[in-house]
Amino acid sequence: MTTLLTLAEQIESSAIGVAIAESRYAYPIFEGVHLIGLAVSVGLIFITDLRLMGLVLKRTSVASVLSHLRPYVIGGFIATFVSGGLLFWSSALRMLESPAFVFKLVFIALAGINALVFELKIVPRHAAALAAPLPRSFAYAGVASLSLWTLTIVCGRLIPYLPAWS
Amino acid sequence: MTVIELLTALENSALAHAISKTDHLVAAGLQIIHVLGLIFFLASLVLISLRAIGWALADHSIADVARDTSRLLWIGLGLTVLSGTLMFIATPRLYYFNWAFGAKMALLAVAVLVQATLFRRVANAEAPTPAFARASIGLSVACWFGVAMAGRMIGFV
Repeated sequence: MTTLLTLAEQIESSAIGVAIAESRYAYPIFEGVHLIGLAVSVGLIFITDLRLMGLVLKRTSVASVLSHLRPYVIGGFIATFVSGGLLFWSSALRMLESPAFVFKLVFIALAGINALVFELKIVPRHAAALAAPLPRSFAYAGVASLSLWTLTIVCGRLIPYLPAWS
Repeated sequence: MTVIELLTALENSALAHAISKTDHLVAAGLQIIHVLGLIFFLASLVLISLRAIGWALADHSIADVARDTSRLLWIGLGLTVLSGTLMFIATPRLYYFNWAFGAKMALLAVAVLVQATLFRRVANAEAPTPAFARASIGLSVACWFGVAMAGRMIGFV
């Protein structure tokens, strides 16, 4: 843990970390890009999740929703990860000391695992059912994704509001 | 009554006290609802936009995609406006003197105007001219992204 905190301190005090923290506009602009990127990526995932649960876009097949939205989900994620990485660069120590941030990372990892299991295991097994009535496992994957990403956003927004680990 | 007097009266109202004088997690809760609402709103808008310029779901009509997504869009917008209004009521003078908030409101006004005119024309058309669709949608998405960007900057300027 101490080595991790030392590393965070080094990241934060590196030239780029200091430059971002000291610039008047870099930090807020990266925050804005982070928000817009996640509105596109996580937002389109939310819509996909609701489709898997049979709640929206019922006229459109799941296969069509998945393949058409994928490039924009990935594009949004790239913007979110890059801006998030730069924000972390300038405040690594404060982030590691924040339970909300650490939980956020855990929920991102779980959401990623859920997405991989869905794409690599569940979809291939039900390839024929992508258009017709959906298997229950699709709805479960949708509920899991919707919950994990919601928790990620809640934790992310709570970072400045919750106290550090004691 | 000047604007400042009005804002001060608002800040001293019972509702403002109820929001700002309780636990600080009430403010955090409003921020979370604001972000989640914005995500649903923006993603729905982006999806309709992608369809209108033919970049996604081209095998469905624009009207179908707009109809299927509009409920989500309105729920998202409703949550964002409601939570945002409550946040403003709690500390109106803080926002009034913040230039990012001013920019956000100006962009919001333009975005709503674009939405009610150009965007609506594209979304209601069977097959809009590609150039007109791309220009209208591009302007609309740029305005809304601008609203999000300016909004996120409020806490830092």
